[in-house]
Amino acid sequence: MQTNFTLAQLADPHVAESEQILRRCVHCGFCTATCPTYVTLGNELDSPRGRIYLIKDMLENGRAADEEVVTHIDRCLSCLACVTTCPSGVDYMHLVDHARIHIENTYRRPLIDRLIRNLLAAVLPYPARFRTALGFARLGRPFAPLLKRASALRPLGAMLDLAPRSPARASDSAKPGTRIPEAGKRGRVAILSGCAQPVLDPGINEATLRLLARLGVEVVVPEGEGCCGALVHHMGREEQALDFARRNVDVWTREIDKGGLDAIIITASGCGTTIKDYGHMLRLDPAYAEKAARVSGLAKDITEYLSTLDLPRLEPKRLNVAYHSACSMQHGQKITMAPKNLLKAAGFTVRDPGEGHLCCGSAGTYNILQPEISAQLKARKVRNIEATKADVIATGNIGCITQIASGTAIPILHTVELLDWAYGGPKPEKIPAR
Amino acid sequence: MTLIPNSETDAAYVIRNAASEGKKLALCGGNTRAGFGNAAEPAEMVSSTGLSGIVDYEPAEMVMTVKAGTPVAEIEAALAANRQMMAFEPMDHRGVMGTLGEPTIGGVFAANVSGPRRFVSGAARDSLLGIRFINGRGEPIRAGGRVMKNVTGLDLVKLLAGSHGTLGFLTEVTFRVLPVPQTVETIVISGLDDAAAAKAMAAAMALPVEVSGAAHLPQTVRFRFLGGGLPAGEATVLRIEGLDASVAVRAEKLAAVMEAFGPVSRLGLEESQTLWRQIRDVYPYSDGTLKPVWRVSIAPSAGHQLVAALRLEAGVDAFYDWQGGLVWMRMEADPEAELLRRYIRALGGGHATLMRASDAVRAQTQAFEPQPDAVAALSARVKQKLDPAGIFCPGKMG
Amino acid sequence: MADTIRFLKPREAVLSRRAAIIADLTDLLPPECLVHEARELVPFETDAFVSYRRLPLAVALPKTTAQVAAVMKYCHRYGIPVVPRGAGTSLSGGAIPQEDAVVLGLSKMSRILEVDYANRTATVQAGVTNLNISEAVGIDGFFYAPDPSSQLACTIGGNIGMNSGGAHCLKYGVTTNNLLGVKMVLVDGTVIELGGKHLDAAGYDLLGLVCGSEGQLGIVTEAVVRLIAKPEGARPVLFGFDTSEHAGACVADIIGSGIIPVAIEFMDKPAIEICEAFAHAGYPLDVEALLIVEVEGSEAEMEAMLKAIVEIAGRHGVKTVRESQSATEAALIWKGRKSAFGATGRIADYICMDGTVPLGKLSYVLNKTSEIVDRFGLRVANVFHAGDGNMHPLILFNANDPEDAARAEEAGNEILKLCVDAGGCLTGEHGVGIEKRDLMRHQYSEADLNQQMAVRSAFDEDWILNPSKVFPLDGRPAA
Ligand SMILES: Cc1cc2nc3c(=O)[nH]c(=O)nc-3n(C[C@@H](O)[C@@H](O)[C@@H](O)COP(=O)(O)OP(=O)(O)OC[C@H]3O[C@@H](n4cnc5c(N)ncnc54)[C@H](O)[C@@H]3O)c2cc1C
Ligand SMILES: Cc1cc2nc3c(=O)[nH]c(=O)nc-3n(C[C@H](O)[C@H](O)[C@H](O)COP(=O)(O)OP(=O)(O)OC[C@H]3O[C@@H](n4cnc5c(N)ncnc54)[C@H](O)[C@@H]3O)c2cc1C
Ligand code: SF4
Ligand code: SF4
Repeated sequence: MQTNFTLAQLADPHVAESEQILRRCVHCGFCTATCPTYVTLGNELDSPRGRIYLIKDMLENGRAADEEVVTHIDRCLSCLACVTTCPSGVDYMHLVDHARIHIENTYRRPLIDRLIRNLLAAVLPYPARFRTALGFARLGRPFAPLLKRASALRPLGAMLDLAPRSPARASDSAKPGTRIPEAGKRGRVAILSGCAQPVLDPGINEATLRLLARLGVEVVVPEGEGCCGALVHHMGREEQALDFARRNVDVWTREIDKGGLDAIIITASGCGTTIKDYGHMLRLDPAYAEKAARVSGLAKDITEYLSTLDLPRLEPKRLNVAYHSACSMQHGQKITMAPKNLLKAAGFTVRDPGEGHLCCGSAGTYNILQPEISAQLKARKVRNIEATKADVIATGNIGCITQIASGTAIPILHTVELLDWAYGGPKPEKIPAR
Repeated sequence: MTLIPNSETDAAYVIRNAASEGKKLALCGGNTRAGFGNAAEPAEMVSSTGLSGIVDYEPAEMVMTVKAGTPVAEIEAALAANRQMMAFEPMDHRGVMGTLGEPTIGGVFAANVSGPRRFVSGAARDSLLGIRFINGRGEPIRAGGRVMKNVTGLDLVKLLAGSHGTLGFLTEVTFRVLPVPQTVETIVISGLDDAAAAKAMAAAMALPVEVSGAAHLPQTVRFRFLGGGLPAGEATVLRIEGLDASVAVRAEKLAAVMEAFGPVSRLGLEESQTLWRQIRDVYPYSDGTLKPVWRVSIAPSAGHQLVAALRLEAGVDAFYDWQGGLVWMRMEADPEAELLRRYIRALGGGHATLMRASDAVRAQTQAFEPQPDAVAALSARVKQKLDPAGIFCPGKMG
Repeated sequence: MADTIRFLKPREAVLSRRAAIIADLTDLLPPECLVHEARELVPFETDAFVSYRRLPLAVALPKTTAQVAAVMKYCHRYGIPVVPRGAGTSLSGGAIPQEDAVVLGLSKMSRILEVDYANRTATVQAGVTNLNISEAVGIDGFFYAPDPSSQLACTIGGNIGMNSGGAHCLKYGVTTNNLLGVKMVLVDGTVIELGGKHLDAAGYDLLGLVCGSEGQLGIVTEAVVRLIAKPEGARPVLFGFDTSEHAGACVADIIGSGIIPVAIEFMDKPAIEICEAFAHAGYPLDVEALLIVEVEGSEAEMEAMLKAIVEIAGRHGVKTVRESQSATEAALIWKGRKSAFGATGRIADYICMDGTVPLGKLSYVLNKTSEIVDRFGLRVANVFHAGDGNMHPLILFNANDPEDAARAEEAGNEILKLCVDAGGCLTGEHGVGIEKRDLMRHQYSEADLNQQMAVRSAFDEDWILNPSKVFPLDGRPAA
């Protein structure tokens, strides 16, 4: 569609990029139909097409963000269903990234909102702080209903609700070092330990390490790696996000230079989407552009990587698995078949829940910042999953696991936990005895 | 006196004059409907029979344009010569009405006459692509066109279809035609009561076999069809049409499922054609009497409930077309309009039209379903816009 | 922004009362159902006919028929124009607002109220998307037949507004042939019901009149639509040709032979390339024109039909024939076709024409169309419902170049006139909207138009419902 930018505006590479994205949109409205917030709220302002228009208007007029725009952009889950749907190839992801940065730079949020966001940005990306915070959260849980009554404090209530009931075990899966496989060597990869996942569910990377070891893959847990930056990136905190990115790029580049890497394995698809975007995020940084692009090129979801290993087909097990495709998996990284094919090959019966394109409402910190919409999406997701009458749920993202687990009694696991079990690992505790 | 204009210009002139003088006009074609509709005010007749002939027929495009007074028989012959047909199966009601004369195509569309295939292939109005008509000011108006898809402006074509000569005088119609199916077969399920038949028909319609006719003929009428040649017991009949190869397969499939409901037999091409023509033309009630005949349109699953309810209170004979959604009813004596319409409302809505009755009964009975106030007021405003002086068949439809 | 098409001058009496109107609407609707902040109105300023834009006065997003009635009653009383809006996918500007209008959006009324298999009907709210209906009944073996390419997003209310069609309408008919009833709010807030689960109306066919009335006769809040049992099987087949003429003639011949497939869709080379790039459906890239012909039914039936069609295509020098081998492949073939307009956005801005012509004129009109477009120095991609002659030349242009945009508009007008002159019409399924409004006199006489406008007045004497659309702005009846 038509755009209205001055040459001076277009001199800013961010604006120039957004202009190119906007030009592609033909305003056909297809994307509204698959947007979780639009189908929940029924207001075009809370749809991709509406947001694109709000962003266009804001950028064209070179205006500071205002409360209205912020409200509707904040409600965006960044699930990227719209990107999958758009026939015209509108790159909404980078457009909304730009808008979030613009908001962060030009808009002063109300005090409570600011405090909560600062808190999240200061705690979640750091495992040690997060672990401590969870301890407090367990103590604080009785206050959650009280907090939720005051609308400004609702996010705090939501945060308390989401904290796991029991502390996770201590685990050494994130301890730096190289795991040499038992027999033979088919490849060498680095694995991202991440920030929140090892605190919430260390079992996922433990299973990954076991499985890769059995398959003859050497795995490095590099020293100094940390949060991928997605959490702050989605809050529009560009500098902080880029710092995380640069640090990880450095760490992995060191590993590449040292022993070569076939892949950088990621077991949380939310992180995967961001790491695969490092190349783009750092494209304007001459010192990092090339390195970052290389890192992005190596980043692989664990299921993508496993698919290259030709795992043997196993006897059918009588276990129905509802596969929930995380948004960052299906929309962000366009990985749709690999996880299901792996599960099927491993003998599981895979079921696709209805409305599979819709987000579960987790979306990073969304369930904390937008608890009402998040709760509606969770309920809808759970209804669709339960309709499949599955025994367990498999998915590839820790955020979804926490979110969905809080809404259903059906056990939910990471895909790799089921695969590890099928290919000789221990039976996950969550699987019901039969 | 009957005026028979033989050009559109003449027709416009006649109507313009009548409008300026406030003279009422009764529009007709072959006037085979004599005795239908509300007893209207006395009026001068204007007939379309002077406007006759096929204007344009492109078999390859499946479109025909004809003048409104063209006899239906002439059109059917022209179509048959190209193995084509009007998909909506216009009925020949002369038998049931006990009238003579030559039905015209204008009358068919003005009455939106449709037969058994209506519930899957649409009514006359669905085939009608374009019209020319003279409005109540005497102005010639064109609406629609000759292409299948056309959403240019308001759809006056639909409005005029079924307006029974109360909105305008049709001078020319353009409609879509379809190829005649290679073959036809009918599955007969015997011995089902009305309720079971409704279930069987609904089940048949849910199958991917493209049933194009679904009727239920209870004991009282069954012997009137095919010269009494249908198997014993009530007959629930399902029609399958199309390419030879495919009809055989689909009929087989349908028969297999229907066996669960009752004994199944099959009719071939010729018997099928006769049977469905007789259903279309309300053959059982073409009885030379003036016993009141109703034509009721209702949700298919409610048709038999309506008849069952009425039976407790009135002498009624009935059979069903359109999967049970079209109920033809012959009353023993009183038309029972009040009762009938009350039950229709109770069963979720629909409409009853009195097709036949003695003059005395007609004088006291609303032939068309009365409408809710807001809709009736709207309809009156619409009529006013086409016929401001109210000269066309006043009182006939409202 | 292109600006040759005018809107009505905003009513001063309405503009000057803006604040009061918003205050009153606030009383009538819950807060989340009213949009009136200047910034928030911007995304409602257009639909998929994005060349034209007008900000509305406010946007009402009611949740119930009663709320719709309350808003209508209020707007009627004060003479405030109302523009109904479904998903805003109209390609003719049917849902574009104007400065003095309240947009009445049905997007919060999106529930399926009842599915009744015994009577093969679904009762839905107006804001339900077209595809949602088919998805809801699909597992039970049914579908809702009209399938506009926008079916993922467009609403039943909008489909009724435009009497929308789609690829599979060749066999099953368009919206009006599949609509059994509506609940509708009249301009003064009166709620009426037309039709229902039974067939054909008592009295005048007001339902037929409402279908395709572009939001000018009332606000549809609920609809009863017909469901159809899904065919046993369906198979799209790709036929590639060396020239568009051959493909066009082949279409006419298929229909002329008495075979009616479920769908016959046409794409020319530019369209093939665009769609293939998006959907990877395996369209042949070495042909000038492609027909997607879908047959359905039992295996025997499909075989028989295909055999006949292949033979006809052979007579027209078909170059490649490819049957889809699996459901996935079939889905991709249709995904590509249905995404065609959107995917065109990858290479250029476009306006989409929608004239219908008699089948015998397809090739002629295709040729003339490229002549016209060449003359204006523009490019065109053709992708359309060939079986019923409903053409969609997509005129490609650069929206950031005002001269290019003006040329595209002019070329479009010439093409539409060409369709009418060839015995067809201005619009087969997208509606008149504002886009073709000023061409209406090319198709209709003054008397024809006056009659339509008079009937419209019977529903809305003051012309407050979607007033800038469909009928030329001059020569309207005085209120
Ligand atoms: C018993 C019976 C059963 C019928 N069944 C049905 C039915 O199932 N469904 C249905 O919809 N209709 C039905 N009709 C209506 C019937 O009138 C048509 O069958 C029609 O074919 C008659 O043709 P005609 O030329 O004799 O029309 P006429 O008898 O002359 O007229 C029929 C109606 O159409 C109007 N009309 C005729 N020509 C024109 C014209 N040129 N312009 C405007 N109006 C015109 C007349 O005013 C009249 O209301 C039935 C009628 C009867 C009496
Ligand atoms: C990519 C693309 C492909 C398309 N393909 C097709 C196609 O194949 N076939 C086709 O026919 N169309 C097609 N269209 C056009 C468009 O999708 C249809 O016209 C559709 O029916 C519009 O529905 P909507 O819900 O978006 O309505 P809107 O665009 O919001 O409104 C359409 C019209 O209906 C009125 N309206 C909306 N809701 C109501 C209501 N509840 N009551 C009264 N009036 C109402 C509006 O005022 C307006 O005049 C396509 C559009 C796009 C963008
Ligand atoms: S689907 Fe793509 S082109 Fe269409 S409105 Fe959405 S972003 Fe724009
Ligand atoms: S990212 Fe998700 S929530 Fe955001 S606009 Fe796109 S579809 Fe909607």
